[in-house]
Amino acid sequence: MKIQQVTEDKKKYLDLLLLADPQEDMIDKYLDESTLFVLSEDEIVKTVCAVVMLKNGQCEIKNIATMPEEQGKGYGKYMIDYVCEHFSERCQMMYVGTGNSRKTIEFYEKCRFVNSHIVENFFTDNYKEPIYEDGILLTDMIYLRRPLYAQIDVKRVVNLALEAGRILLKNGGEIFRVDETMTRICNRFHVDKVDTFMLSHGIFISAQHGDEEVYTKVKHVPLSGSNLEIVAEVNDLSREISSGKVTLEEAEKKLKEIERMPGAGYWQKILGAGLGSGCFGYLLCGAGRESILAFFIGCLLYMWVLAANKHKVSKIVTNMVGGVIISSLAILANYISVMEPLQIDGIIIGGIMPLIPGVAFVSAIREIADSDFLSGTVRMIDALLVFVYIAIGVGISLSVYRTLSGGGLGL
Amino acid sequence: MIVFLLKNMLCSFAGTIAYAILFSVPKKYYVSCGFTGMTGWLVYLFITQATIFSAAVGSFFGSLTVVLISRMLAVRMKCPITIFLVSGIFPLVPGAGVYYTAYYLVTNEMGLAAVKGLEAIKIAFGIVLGIAVVLSVPRGVFQLEYWRQRRYRRKYE
Repeated sequence: MKIQQVTEDKKKYLDLLLLADPQEDMIDKYLDESTLFVLSEDEIVKTVCAVVMLKNGQCEIKNIATMPEEQGKGYGKYMIDYVCEHFSERCQMMYVGTGNSRKTIEFYEKCRFVNSHIVENFFTDNYKEPIYEDGILLTDMIYLRRPLYAQIDVKRVVNLALEAGRILLKNGGEIFRVDETMTRICNRFHVDKVDTFMLSHGIFISAQHGDEEVYTKVKHVPLSGSNLEIVAEVNDLSREISSGKVTLEEAEKKLKEIERMPGAGYWQKILGAGLGSGCFGYLLCGAGRESILAFFIGCLLYMWVLAANKHKVSKIVTNMVGGVIISSLAILANYISVMEPLQIDGIIIGGIMPLIPGVAFVSAIREIADSDFLSGTVRMIDALLVFVYIAIGVGISLSVYRTLSGGGLGL
Repeated sequence: MIVFLLKNMLCSFAGTIAYAILFSVPKKYYVSCGFTGMTGWLVYLFITQATIFSAAVGSFFGSLTVVLISRMLAVRMKCPITIFLVSGIFPLVPGAGVYYTAYYLVTNEMGLAAVKGLEAIKIAFGIVLGIAVVLSVPRGVFQLEYWRQRRYRRKYE
């Protein structure tokens, strides 16, 4: 006895399909989009079954039929168990609709289906000729359902959820999004008892399935730069997972691909920083010449930031040296300029902008607004300290210049 | 006047996109990010230039606008709100305050340093309030479905 999935020439099995559904145009409606399974023994076809995927992790057996002379030998039940097993990775519920015939309903009940709902007058509305089964006129469609359970590997599911959470948190995702994504993934793969606890730099998750042992994992996620593209991609993936489009294996593979996404390139980032510096220099101080200078200083500054990140220089040094670079370049430009004196503050303010910790600042506010004070405070302190480091850096070079030029800054 | 306005619009639009690049925002969201930042900045500009209110009030309404637009865009485009929020809020962040505070500290003008520092903190609080106010509105309000159902309910109840 073996079951095969048929993708081409589904119409070949029309004779059998017509046994369960006597009107051909009704079969045409679902045959193309359905997955067709054929059970055969010794090369002779015994049973066919058509299943359609619905939304939200549900699927429906549209048609199941066994050769009349082979009925009552367990082929149908075998087929249904096979189909349920097949879809359990992607779906949570299998539906089947049937007429009000005692024999069929008893068959489905034997296959562990239970009553779900009734669609009134389905047969009289959709079929041209009245259908009689065991001498009874069929009118309403009775739906039965059977919940699907896959072989659940709690550890694997939790590891996947934790990995998704770690990638989100590392790249600047918000705490509630990390929590939501992890719970969603666990629930989708049938691990229902999940507890998560998150800090801005750590994740704790413990999960249990049925009466099995509790599985707990802790992950340290150091505060680091953000890549919002990755956040968006993981978010999309989690949507796909919870709608049942992705299996566990595919999700693991996709997650690995997402983490390898490089984000914006080296020169793109440098030019972006320059453009930002120039534009904001103009916005905040309103001077054209200065904003062009700010563009170049912003580019140079970001080269330093990228180099520092690559060699894992600490945050204090990166930002302080950044501040020093900006203000000394601005002073230098003013010193060698032969035209009228420059507005040095415009240049420096523009130049500072790429250093400002936007993601940390905004996330901190949002987490505090969400009453998640612990993560909010950590991120807020992170953001505020960066502001202070920049100010110290700018201050250092300004005061050195002041001392060298003897007293007044002369700016 | 019009040239001033146009220059401001262009600079805030391009500047916001520049930050979107720094945070590796996907390319398809660039224009929406720029638009968010531009609108926020224009509101800020209007309030600080055309009314008697201070920069802090301007930042409050500016960030209010940014968060509102970000939430609508996030629902519409089905992506995390952070993308629009972080880049859109950038023009309002008090970078100038940081500089002036450092400058006056160095030049030993403590009074002015305190004034500028506190002003920067006030602006930051304006932004905080703006974000917190809009974020406390339930999620459903930003979906079209909510308003449709509401109209329906009014009509038939």
